[in-house]
Amino acid sequence: MKKINPLVALTGAALALPAIAADQPTSAKLSFLSSTYHEKDIKNSTILSGAGKRYDIEKNQFRLVTPLGENWSGDLYVSQEAMSGASPWGTFDGADDESSLIMSGATIRDKRTQVNLSGRKYNEDSSYGFTLTRSKEDDYSAKGFGVSGEWDLNNKLSTVSAGFSFSDDEIKPVDALKFGRIEKGKKQTRSFAAGWTQIINQNSILFTGISHTVKQGLLSDPYKLRDTRPSKKAEWTLSFKYRQYFENRNAALHADYRLYNDDFGVTSHTAGIAWKKSIGDKLKIAPRFRYYSQSEADFYAFGDNYSLAKTEAQSSDHRLSGFGSTTTGVQISYELGKWSMKMSFDRYSSKNSLGHAESEKEHPALLDFTLWSAGFDLEI
Amino acid sequence: MGSPCQIHVMGEKKTELDEFAEECRQQALGFEKKYSRYRSDSILTKINRSAGKKPTKIDAETFALLNYAQVCYEQSKGFFDITSGVLRNLWNAETVKFPSERDLEEHLNKIGFSKLRFNDKEAFLPINGMELDFGGIVKEYAADALAATARKRNISFGLINLGGDIAIIGPKADGAPWQFGIAHPVIKGRTIATIQLSNGSLTTSGGYERFVEIEGERYSHLLNPKTGVPFKSILSASVIADQAIVAGSITSIALLNEETDGLDWLESCNLPYLAIKKNLECIGSLARNE
Repeated sequence: MKKINPLVALTGAALALPAIAADQPTSAKLSFLSSTYHEKDIKNSTILSGAGKRYDIEKNQFRLVTPLGENWSGDLYVSQEAMSGASPWGTFDGADDESSLIMSGATIRDKRTQVNLSGRKYNEDSSYGFTLTRSKEDDYSAKGFGVSGEWDLNNKLSTVSAGFSFSDDEIKPVDALKFGRIEKGKKQTRSFAAGWTQIINQNSILFTGISHTVKQGLLSDPYKLRDTRPSKKAEWTLSFKYRQYFENRNAALHADYRLYNDDFGVTSHTAGIAWKKSIGDKLKIAPRFRYYSQSEADFYAFGDNYSLAKTEAQSSDHRLSGFGSTTTGVQISYELGKWSMKMSFDRYSSKNSLGHAESEKEHPALLDFTLWSAGFDLEI
Repeated sequence: MGSPCQIHVMGEKKTELDEFAEECRQQALGFEKKYSRYRSDSILTKINRSAGKKPTKIDAETFALLNYAQVCYEQSKGFFDITSGVLRNLWNAETVKFPSERDLEEHLNKIGFSKLRFNDKEAFLPINGMELDFGGIVKEYAADALAATARKRNISFGLINLGGDIAIIGPKADGAPWQFGIAHPVIKGRTIATIQLSNGSLTTSGGYERFVEIEGERYSHLLNPKTGVPFKSILSASVIADQAIVAGSITSIALLNEETDGLDWLESCNLPYLAIKKNLECIGSLARNE
């Protein structure tokens, strides 16, 4: 038999003592977060037709986590967002090597409401949970569910997790007849995830996870003038999250990496780093930086090609081009008794040349946006 | 608890801190009542009195503590043994000569954690005269429990000190760490090292505080449960861990070994430690801070 490290063995036995063990939530927590998302307007010179004002989103999120009896916890999440702005309908590859965007004519206004309801049962060395999700906007509705389990091993120093989720979505594009759009489309998403969390020592934790998602149905964007994507997509992700606490600095380093690949041909890398510094016991400041880079999809076209048959896969969606982006931000939180106030700011900037496998030409719709959030947590 | 206990807490509302102090007092008394071998109504006394007669019903907490003691027994290769308390009859303040072979043998027969039978419902010592003693476990566990109570009450600054077993609630109110002096094992009233701590737990075990002197030679109170004779161990060990109970059993086991083995044990636990060798040399990661 392999000899167990004494610290691991003793800590495991200590965590089973009732006055020390406290995994599940013991008091209810109410959270509220309000966010403002603003996309930078598109330069008029690159617009062939339509409006240059892009999306603004106001989002409010509410969450209540509460213990239910001895071994259960419940979690209710409600979010509402109001969006307005124009979105790209297509691109035109001009003879002068300049590209032009065709934007939606008028400002689009939409509201989206999402409700998630979850429950989790805690046992001595495991926990099992379920989630029901429902979201609705003018042209889109989704229903879903998820199940997951977590199992503690090696005296609670390792945790294995596994989950499955399913979502059934329906899109009914507005003005379908007027613009010759598809009247109704359906999409089903199945996702499997597995993870391993390892406590390395008292100050560091490593999470490794893998997930596989299969999407089937209408994956094309019905609002674009010419957008035909395969009706099935398989995605894989591999992620690592590392947390290291530095006692002498009273700070924690969060380092994350994610590798993504799908059979549309997109491979992406996401690397993030955050430094969560405590100043005194109440104030926390966390500057963060994230780098993202993706390669273009196999059927990505810089300019829409109307000579291709509609059944041939092609898309000029900037999100399928090869590009890179950076997100720089900071979160500040302040604790006051049972209250915790939070505020954050992020600036996102994307560019063709930032990517590891940039597309031949820069897509004019590549985004820059800012995101402000403010909210609170309250223990009740 | 049989030793001085201190609670240092800082906060904005005095009434809240007073309430917490009172809850701590009640909680500490509760542990004492339940696990002290000096009290006739404790669960420990019941188990000891029923030794060789009948099993005693136990609750989930006592079962978890016995489980913890079993892990200590296994990890220490049998040197940390909560049934070894009977050796106190041979080594105490009145001892003036080395115990006889016969006395030792008679006591050693009543020792052995592996003889204890227990499950989640009951515990049974099979030999009349056998005794359990939660020294080295319950005081440290109580420190962890009181610190957890503080956190539940949203108290963020302070520490619990139960006779030298320290569980930190959080730093001082100005964010500064607490400072602890480690007693000099030879010169009374002097410290040999200083340790700073803002979270976690710190415990120190020393063989120098309680000892028996026979013909000019000092024997510590830390006895080898296999031979009945004190160890020639390091003089003192201090360890920082997340839980005081873990730190406490690691320092105890360090002293329940000959010097070299004790140092190897401390090294194998991968925790910050300070060990004082018989020649007064300080070693370990905490010694290097000095």
